[in-house]
Amino acid sequence: MFKVARIGLRLTTAMAVVTALALPATGKELVINSDSSFPAIKAAFEQAIVGFEKENPDINVTFNVFDNEAYKSAIRNFLSADAPDIATWFAGNRMLPYVDAKLFAPIDDVWAENNMSETLKSAESSVTHYGKKWAIPYTYYQWGVYYRKDIFDKLGIAVPKNWEEFKQAGETLKANNIVPMAIGTKFPWTAAGVFDYLNLRTNGYDFHMALTRGEIPWTDPRIRKTMANWKELLDADFFLENHAANSWQEALPPLVNGKAGMYLMGNFIVEPLREAGLTDETLGFFQFPVIDPAIPTAEDAPANTIHLAANATNVAEAKKFLAYFARADVQSAMNETMSQLPVNSKSTVADDPFLRAGFEMLSNVNGGLAQFFDRDAPAEMAKAGMEGFQEFMVKPDRLDAILARLETVRQRVYQ
Amino acid sequence: MFPTPVQQTSRPTRIAYQIALPVALVLWLLPLIGVALTSIRPAADITAGNYWGWPSSFNLIENYSAVFTNSPLAAYILNSFKVTIPTVIGAIALSSLTGFALAIYKFRSNLLIFFLFVAGNFIPFQILMVPVRDLSIQMGVYNSVWALIFFHIAFQTGFCTLFMRNFIRTLPFELIEAARIEDVSEFKIFWHIVLPLMRPALAALAVLVFTFVWNDYFWATVLTQGAHAQPVTAGLHALNGEWIAAWHLVSAGSIVAALPPVLMFFLMQKHFIAGLTLGAVKS
Repeated sequence: MFKVARIGLRLTTAMAVVTALALPATGKELVINSDSSFPAIKAAFEQAIVGFEKENPDINVTFNVFDNEAYKSAIRNFLSADAPDIATWFAGNRMLPYVDAKLFAPIDDVWAENNMSETLKSAESSVTHYGKKWAIPYTYYQWGVYYRKDIFDKLGIAVPKNWEEFKQAGETLKANNIVPMAIGTKFPWTAAGVFDYLNLRTNGYDFHMALTRGEIPWTDPRIRKTMANWKELLDADFFLENHAANSWQEALPPLVNGKAGMYLMGNFIVEPLREAGLTDETLGFFQFPVIDPAIPTAEDAPANTIHLAANATNVAEAKKFLAYFARADVQSAMNETMSQLPVNSKSTVADDPFLRAGFEMLSNVNGGLAQFFDRDAPAEMAKAGMEGFQEFMVKPDRLDAILARLETVRQRVYQ
Repeated sequence: MFPTPVQQTSRPTRIAYQIALPVALVLWLLPLIGVALTSIRPAADITAGNYWGWPSSFNLIENYSAVFTNSPLAAYILNSFKVTIPTVIGAIALSSLTGFALAIYKFRSNLLIFFLFVAGNFIPFQILMVPVRDLSIQMGVYNSVWALIFFHIAFQTGFCTLFMRNFIRTLPFELIEAARIEDVSEFKIFWHIVLPLMRPALAALAVLVFTFVWNDYFWATVLTQGAHAQPVTAGLHALNGEWIAAWHLVSAGSIVAALPPVLMFFLMQKHFIAGLTLGAVKS
């Protein structure tokens, strides 16, 4: 395809010059398309590729970087028309359309030969579809509650472990004129984060996955239970006012300024908060509290993956690279650069209290790892769902209408 | 005389005017002031909610250099020039020819063709989105600067033709008749007589079209994707991080992106204003 070729050409020139100088031309090629346009992620990839070329001097790697957003619309195009050997994508149901369209190839042999069911165990279920493995997960990050440690200490609030303690912590904060939780739902994925956790804690991982796969009606009484828990928080004024007018980023100032106590978010929240002056003494992290003790804890931990394209030309080289990418040392180094968590259980985690806390939490999860609502559910369902959650947070009385609407969408989407 | 000059009005009116003017100016410039102020803030100010207050530190050099080192903004700006300059040349070259033909020759469908050019201006261009995208794919230019160049030339030529035709109409027709009597070929009449007289119109149109095309955002996002072809208006988002909108960098980038048309305006201010009124009155 014209457009892919053009992007590839421009971006790979630099890479090609480097490799052409370093390598004898024996003709083995490997083409990787990636969405890693952000500096840290790009650097991590480049560093890993340099390492791979050092170990395999006979393979010439072409690394095409796409703009992060443009990649999402380009991938179907290039996978069918002018396939690279390897493409980056996401774990969970988000990869299903490409699996179903036979654009990704199964790589069970790579998993078996390298004993990955052991090393990549925590993310295994999220790359398995129809009993086959479709990807190598190489990075993920945790979700959880980031809170103002100094405020909690001052008010004598202990880290809440269960629902009652959580609500009680909120009451104490409110009594001191502090909003319990900051949130901005202008871009409504943040509300989906709240839903994910409430549903995972109320009904468990298997139910949540069945729901996002479209197997459970939205009018199910168990969903109503989740929403009832949510309503408890809404009735108690747990969330920042006017949240629907702010992006998640615009809801950070209250946390920084001590006007809000907690924020349910992914680990990427730490960097801007540190920039704004919060330290490891004033900012803390805890696992979302347990609601029903009978249900094993599950977490949101979105993983990024690399895939073998079904139309790849250099399959042997690609499989070599997939195995390389799953290795503990490679993942340790890459994730140190990206400030994220390696998936390989034998990897080392960067020396950062939040990454360590996340790694420890995720290593002890026995319920399962969800990929986040908009990766687990198909795009159309995710969109309707997130809008519904946002609406619910503003107008909880409309619950029946919202659930009925989501159910209509479900019946259309998952036919 | 209407309106009465301010100097001749009563004292209270003058005072009210002197107060209202700067207030209105500041109010009107407030968004721009906000952008300029944000462009020199550190990211920490934005996370801490300090949007309008005094910046906690002045990061003029850091932010403006980050715009060029951390993102492909320079490539986007280059794309903007690659799109804008050929469009200006193409649209003006075509429209001076069409304008000449429509103004000088009397043929039966003259008025109809002229109206067709004018009618193009009345089409809300958003409705062309899908057909133009499909057309550019079939032509094999989708997602390259050529898609934008072709479209902008085609679309701008309508307005430019109206402008040129009306301008050439104001030229004394005797000039052309005199040349014809001397047996000068029609193209030479265009080249040696009409074109030199059109210079003010050409300059005014060049400035206008440059500004229109440079500031275009809609087609930039419809017809191109990514740093190899997208102009700067669409490329500003590349300054954002994966999770965080880096408003301080986006602001700095916006100011950089706004500079060429602003410079163009100040350099050719006279033509710009002339361009807005040219052809409005027929003498």
